[in-house]
Amino acid sequence: MSWDWDYAASIMPQLLFGVVVTILVTIACSAIALAGGLLMAIVQMNAGRAGHYATRVLQEIFRGVPILVLLYFGFYALPEIGVLLPGAVVGILVLGVVYAAYCSEVYRGALMTIPVGLRDASAALGLSPFAMWHRVLIPIAVRKSLPALMNYVLVLYKQSSFLFAIGVPVLLAQAQLAGYQSFRYLEPYTITGVLYVLMNVPLVLYQRRFNLRLAAGSS
Amino acid sequence: MTGLIEFLPAVGQGLLTTASIAVLSIVGCALVAIVLGVARRSRNQVVKLAAGSIVELLRGASVLIYLFWVYYALPLVPGLPHFSPLVVSIVVLSLVGGAYGAEIVVSGLQAVPRGQAEASQALGLSKFLTLTRIVLPQALTQIVPAFASLAIDMVKWTSVVSFVGVQDLLSVANTIRTITYSTVGVYVGVALLYFLLCLLTSWFFQRIEHSLPLNRALRAASTPDARSCPATLVLKSQGSPP
Repeated sequence: MSWDWDYAASIMPQLLFGVVVTILVTIACSAIALAGGLLMAIVQMNAGRAGHYATRVLQEIFRGVPILVLLYFGFYALPEIGVLLPGAVVGILVLGVVYAAYCSEVYRGALMTIPVGLRDASAALGLSPFAMWHRVLIPIAVRKSLPALMNYVLVLYKQSSFLFAIGVPVLLAQAQLAGYQSFRYLEPYTITGVLYVLMNVPLVLYQRRFNLRLAAGSS
Repeated sequence: MTGLIEFLPAVGQGLLTTASIAVLSIVGCALVAIVLGVARRSRNQVVKLAAGSIVELLRGASVLIYLFWVYYALPLVPGLPHFSPLVVSIVVLSLVGGAYGAEIVVSGLQAVPRGQAEASQALGLSKFLTLTRIVLPQALTQIVPAFASLAIDMVKWTSVVSFVGVQDLLSVANTIRTITYSTVGVYVGVALLYFLLCLLTSWFFQRIEHSLPLNRALRAASTPDARSCPATLVLKSQGSPP
């Protein structure tokens, strides 16, 4: 079987739809992961022993179980318990929450390196605990965490292809569909691979430039 | 839940398959990582550039994309053979994991002071011996901990092989689910088994880390009986006023 350009062109709209879905899924997952991770880190550091252990257990579970197993659990097992959600929602939630666990470690590391003096200073200035977190600690922690967090966004973009397993029309799922419909797999899978790699390039370049700028700013 | 007992042999088989794929691809990944990592630090610009491009390419998409492409699309190119799903899985996992591992190897090698390599060269050691006897053993102290978390990722990545027809733990679980409909039990059980595999991997790498030459030397130097060692005594007597 050789390469057929006409066929390749004919499946492009289908694949480009997958590209759009992939980008949307990546943005949604990243939002959950970045915000949820910060929340988890704050809970872990402030909610006493119970909060600490609860987040620790969650982190261990999400880091020790493959995403596919969690996706299947969300897709097939949750309806049995009575939680019925569309595949896309399950997928975004699972990916988002799993990477929130990873991101929370990053935030926690950053929060721990903030000198105690800053907390003391906030207390001395009469800032409420909320103002201290909101205006002092979180902005510093977020800035310190940015390079590592950006790395996780890149990972999330790549991992979004896993959502094809529960029928979310990401790029890989669209390629598989195109292949089924015409019994030609060479073109859809090859174009998909090239698209995934190409879309990764601007992300990596941006990350590199960002890290350089950060390194230049801190020195 | 009691109905699941009869599937135990199948689950054991799946677990064994997953574990063997994990072990083989972690070993393959280590080899690929060392080759690519060393090549990335080569003085030869062509080798350096080639290794860099391979690493960036393999890190550009998820392991799933490469697995699908190699298994479903590559055999359609005329003249290329159709490999078994198991072989394709192990090769793809090793290559993609190796690309991530190469970065670990590069930063590990960078952490070894240049003087070490220069001193070995001055003593007349060949380039190969300098790498395998002097630089790598020291770099391993940095490499192994980072590689441990990559290995845990690899254990989890093995679950993708269910898509190319390998009867691993996850695909056995999917089959049991379609037979018994006891979804919650099946997936909780499988999650637990994967979790245990990850724990085992983590424990294994901790043992390796413990037995690394540099770590052993550091430990020996910090144990209490090192204080009675003559060399330290001499240093002490020199340092303190009489």
